[in-house]
Amino acid sequence: MPVNRLGFVHIRVTDMPEAVNHYTNTLGQKVVAEVDGKVYLKSWDEWDHHSVVLEEGGVGLVKLGYKVSSDDDLGEYEDRARVFGCTVERVSKGDNLAIGDGVSIILPSGQRVDLYHDVEYGGMQTGTLNPDAWPRDAVGAAVHHLDHALIAAEDPAMVERFFGEVLDFRVSERVVTDPADPDLIGTWMFCGQKSHDIAVIKGPDNKIHHFAYWLEDWNEILRAGDILGMDDVPIDVGPTRHGVSRGKTIYFFDPSGNRNEVFTGGYMTGPDFPTITWTADQLGKAIFSITRELNERFTSVFT
Amino acid sequence: MVTLRLLPADIDLVGHEGEAILTTIVRDGFKYRIGCRRGGCGICKADILSGEVSYPTTVADSILTPAERDAGVALTCRAVPSTDVVVRFSEESKLRLVVPLAFGIAVAELTGKTRARTQNPDRERERHAG
Repeated sequence: MPVNRLGFVHIRVTDMPEAVNHYTNTLGQKVVAEVDGKVYLKSWDEWDHHSVVLEEGGVGLVKLGYKVSSDDDLGEYEDRARVFGCTVERVSKGDNLAIGDGVSIILPSGQRVDLYHDVEYGGMQTGTLNPDAWPRDAVGAAVHHLDHALIAAEDPAMVERFFGEVLDFRVSERVVTDPADPDLIGTWMFCGQKSHDIAVIKGPDNKIHHFAYWLEDWNEILRAGDILGMDDVPIDVGPTRHGVSRGKTIYFFDPSGNRNEVFTGGYMTGPDFPTITWTADQLGKAIFSITRELNERFTSVFT
Repeated sequence: MVTLRLLPADIDLVGHEGEAILTTIVRDGFKYRIGCRRGGCGICKADILSGEVSYPTTVADSILTPAERDAGVALTCRAVPSTDVVVRFSEESKLRLVVPLAFGIAVAELTGKTRARTQNPDRERERHAG
């Protein structure tokens, strides 16, 4: 079975109270647990225990968690990751709060990815019996759920190979230097039917570019922009639209400098989705299809 | 209020109470190479040639190392001058004026401050009192 989805992002923050204020009052997540100095957060339309983990001290990515479809799959992915040449370790139930046995893999680009199947159920805030459209007490941007992450790699092609060969991800879009002699600059990959569940762009190993939350539509993106303005959150780019994925977006920075995105739209994929290719001379349009321009920050800030 | 002298362009700006170097520069109509503005990327670093800065917000050692601090490197999005400072930007910082109107206001503020300090101590006292 394919990998289910990006289940959690675990990041470092320099100041916990400021970070919690950002992820709750500005973005609208709720604190579900505080254990051993780590704060666990969940969005209103998520049902697993948590989707974001904050850890005080430094900045940047600790690990990504991908939820797989069955316990049997864990063993299969573990074997394949070892054959691929990755460092792989077993993770015991409870090592990640509320999460069962799993497998921890160090990507060829250095980031840590934990795979797991079992996780405590938290439930959507609107419930599962005759639910309302959205929770009346949602605050801030009221993000719906964690959507995807974009990581950096000095050799994106190797990481693309890993996600394809080990985890059965498929490629929705790629940016290459020259179609005749392609050197991979970026790749967007999916495990289900989304435009992407992971993306990789050329950059320093072991760094994250951003992680993204889902919103309902363009109106909610604009409203999120208003909230970010009210809370004086530094904006990187947007509101605008991506060429890759056709999604609508705003990029901004949390109080520690980790880049977040609010994201919506884009197309559906599937196992037979034909990969879309962009060439480097159209990189601006690939990333932002309206302005067709990249700012320096977007391609140089990684945490 | 403190005076920020920016080198090599030799521009004087007035920093307000508790204001990070970046905030003063942007408020006065300038741009330069910056990243997250939250102390997480280190792109906005510059050298403090004289004066003191403090960091009211926690800054990760991985972004501004103790050795860099000792050498006078400042993370301008987080560094708050506690005295008049002289800050040197590298060529890669590309410090330039983009909103002359705001700089005009900044210059008026600066000259007002200078005049108040050097020529009209009574007025300076009134301003503080008022």
